[in-house]
Amino acid sequence: MIWIEGVLVSRGEGGVYGERMLSGHRVWDPYRSKLSAYYYRGGERDLLPGSKVLYLGAAHGTTVSHVSDYVEVVYAVENAYTPMRDLLAVAARRKNIIPLFADATDPACYAPLVEQVDLLFQDVAHPDQARIARRHVPFLARGGTALVVIKARSVDARKDPADVVAGACGELEGSGLRVDRVLWLEPYHRDHAVLECLRDDTPPQGSAQKGR
Amino acid sequence: MAAYVPFSWEMARDCGFVSTRGEYIRILRDLCMLRAEEVLAQVAARPEQELIQMVHMRDQLDEVINHLSEKALEWHAARSPGFSRKYRALRGSRVAIVLGGSGNVHIRNVGAGIEHLAAIRRDLNRDIEKAARALLPNCTALVGGIVAARLLSEAGGLVPLSRLPAGTIQVLGARTALFFHLTSGTPPPKHGIIYQHRRVHRASRERRGRVARVLAAKLAIAARIDLYRGAPDEKFLALAQAAVERAGGLHDMD
Repeated sequence: MIWIEGVLVSRGEGGVYGERMLSGHRVWDPYRSKLSAYYYRGGERDLLPGSKVLYLGAAHGTTVSHVSDYVEVVYAVENAYTPMRDLLAVAARRKNIIPLFADATDPACYAPLVEQVDLLFQDVAHPDQARIARRHVPFLARGGTALVVIKARSVDARKDPADVVAGACGELEGSGLRVDRVLWLEPYHRDHAVLECLRDDTPPQGSAQKGR
Repeated sequence: MAAYVPFSWEMARDCGFVSTRGEYIRILRDLCMLRAEEVLAQVAARPEQELIQMVHMRDQLDEVINHLSEKALEWHAARSPGFSRKYRALRGSRVAIVLGGSGNVHIRNVGAGIEHLAAIRRDLNRDIEKAARALLPNCTALVGGIVAARLLSEAGGLVPLSRLPAGTIQVLGARTALFFHLTSGTPPPKHGIIYQHRRVHRASRERRGRVARVLAAKLAIAARIDLYRGAPDEKFLALAQAAVERAGGLHDMD
């Protein structure tokens, strides 16, 4: 990741959404982007040049534009009409964004268009975020990372956010994803956590389940 | 999807479809852009899209008018100590009259602005009714244009609305209450948007759920007639109106 004096930036054509520029680089605001907040909070799963990313919940393409600055290709899934218009406008000027107008709860709809990726980033407002992540395990290449943003408030607004995250970790068990680390995004985003998951190819019945 | 093995670009190359990865990505991107643009164009071309925006704008006008009236009256009250809003309903045009008589030019101007906005809202309302009557003749006959348009907006269009079961139409717009009910066992919501229709909110408390249920059942049928026939069905409407009346009526209490 590119840091300039403690500020996360990306290298690309500016003016996508009125972002600030810092010595020719686009400033990536942690308050606007959960992925940026993840790096500010010490996340170490970097966006590598030449890597492939599957991004679920691309919304208006704000974060996607920064991801596209770093990686080879990003598959951006979004299923709402209004954000999709903005996402298309972003994709029109960036040749490595592949916009998919589809519902992330049903990957079969776009499975033939997506290849195996090195990083799965999931940021969807859905009550069943863990199940969506489970369904996308086949798209994650061996040794790949999944970053799953858990919006505790959209799972259950009345439960303690920590319990919600623990529940999501439990649901991911045996899915082929191993939760390696949980990072809370305070103070940038309230009640949001990122589950850092690795693709786990050991058979689920083995005793290789590692503690979190 | 557990055993699914995704496609790789090498497969496309080995078939002779593309020769380089760059070419593969370019074709894939063009295809996906085209698909997305096509779906967007289809959504934009739906006639209900405009109606939904009209209702949004009406809500926004309501909010602005109320907000401006509130603040302007506060200012007016601060200038005239004898002015109190107790015991006098100050709605709609009455606000404009009070503000228009103010000694302060700015308050008078704001009053004129409110009056102007209210006129826009009135015209918009009329057009919403007209558009709803054209698009949803049966639903509009049952609950009026505004409520029909709101149901349409919440369902996401005429086709999705016509496919909803009556139970869903009944609680459309009460999402939070419904999920609270499912997750924590609070009482289920009796009504969502259709509460805004006078026959539901004017019904007595113990009757409201019943009226909402019957009305929703008739709306589910009405939406289907609207989609597939697009013309008012007088016979159905008469029966439906009677059923809703019966549900809200005071006789046949059991």
